Amino acid sequence: MKIVCVIPAYNEAQNIRLVISKVKSFVDEIIIVDDASSDDTFKLANLDNVTAVRHIINRGQGAALRTGTELALERGADIIIHFDADDQFQAEDIPEMLEPLINGKADAVLGSRFLSKKSNLPKIKRNLIMPLARLSNLLLFNIRLSDPQSGFRALSRSSASKLKIENDGMAHCSEIIYQLFKNKERVVEVPIKVIYHEYGQKLSGGFKIIKDLLIQKLIN
Amino acid sequence: MLQQVLALIVIIFFLLRLLKQKNHKQINGSEFSLWLIFWLLALGAIIFIKQIDTLVAWLGFSGTAINILVYLTMLALIYQVFSMRLTIAKINKNISELNQALTLKK
Repeated sequence: MKIVCVIPAYNEAQNIRLVISKVKSFVDEIIIVDDASSDDTFKLANLDNVTAVRHIINRGQGAALRTGTELALERGADIIIHFDADDQFQAEDIPEMLEPLINGKADAVLGSRFLSKKSNLPKIKRNLIMPLARLSNLLLFNIRLSDPQSGFRALSRSSASKLKIENDGMAHCSEIIYQLFKNKERVVEVPIKVIYHEYGQKLSGGFKIIKDLLIQKLIN
Repeated sequence: MLQQVLALIVIIFFLLRLLKQKNHKQINGSEFSLWLIFWLLALGAIIFIKQIDTLVAWLGFSGTAINILVYLTMLALIYQVFSMRLTIAKINKNISELNQALTLKK
C-alpha cells in the first residue's frame, strides 16, 4: 500500500526540511508543492529525497493541494495525506490517521483538534472562530464535525480521485469536507495535536472563506 | 434647462469618446454596443425628462424622474460589479488550471 504525503508550501524555508525529516519515516513518498515561494523553499525541499514541484505563480493552498493530490494519484498513491509545511501538525499522528483507512473502516480521515488530544489553540480561535466555522458548515452544508477547518487529512485513492478542489484559497477545507459527505464517503475524525507557533487564520480570513464558498456556488 | 444642457454635453462627450475608442479598436463590438445603448438611453432620459416625470407620477412613485433614474443607475452599477466579480472568479479558476497544468507538465 503506497502512502503519499502532499505538503503544500509557501515561503516555508525555515520549516520545510524539518517537516520533511519528521514525516518521511511514516510515508512512502513526500510531494512538496511550492506555491511560488519568494524564499528558498523549493531549493531546500530539493535537497531531500522528495518529489518537489513548483507553481509558476502563487495561487493559494487549495490550488497547491489540488496539484499535489493529482500528482500523488498519477504516482500510484493508495492513500494520500494532506499535511502542512509550517511544522504545526505532529507527524507522530500519521499512523493513527492511517489506521481507519488501512483497516477499511473509512474512506477519509479528518484530523480534529477538538477531540481527546490537547492543542494550544488561541482562545479567540477556540471560542469564536471555530464555533462560527462549525455554524457555517452546518448552515451551508448541513455537516456537523468537531473540527470544521482542519488541514490534516488522509484520503483513500478512491475518495481522493472523486475530489474536485475548486477553491484556491483557505476555503478548500470546507469544500473538501462538503465533497466527502456529498460523495457519501465514510468519514472518520481522529484526534490530532497541533502546536501553534503563530496565530494563523484570523476572523477576517473566516469571512473570506464564507465569501469564497458563496462565489464558488454562484460560478458553478 | 441648464442642467439638462450640461448633462447632454457630458453624454455627447462620452459618446464621442466611445466612437473614438471603437475607431482605434480599443474595445470590442459587444463592449461598444453595451456602452452605446447605455449612453443613448441616458441621452433619451435627459431629453424626455418631462415625459418620464409624468410616467413616474402616473406609476405612483413619489420621487421625481431624476430620483428614479439615479436608483436605476445604482441598481445597474451593483449588477455590473456583481457580474464583474463572477467573471474575475472564472478567470482566476482558469489561471489556476493553467498553472497546475504547467507545473505537472515540467
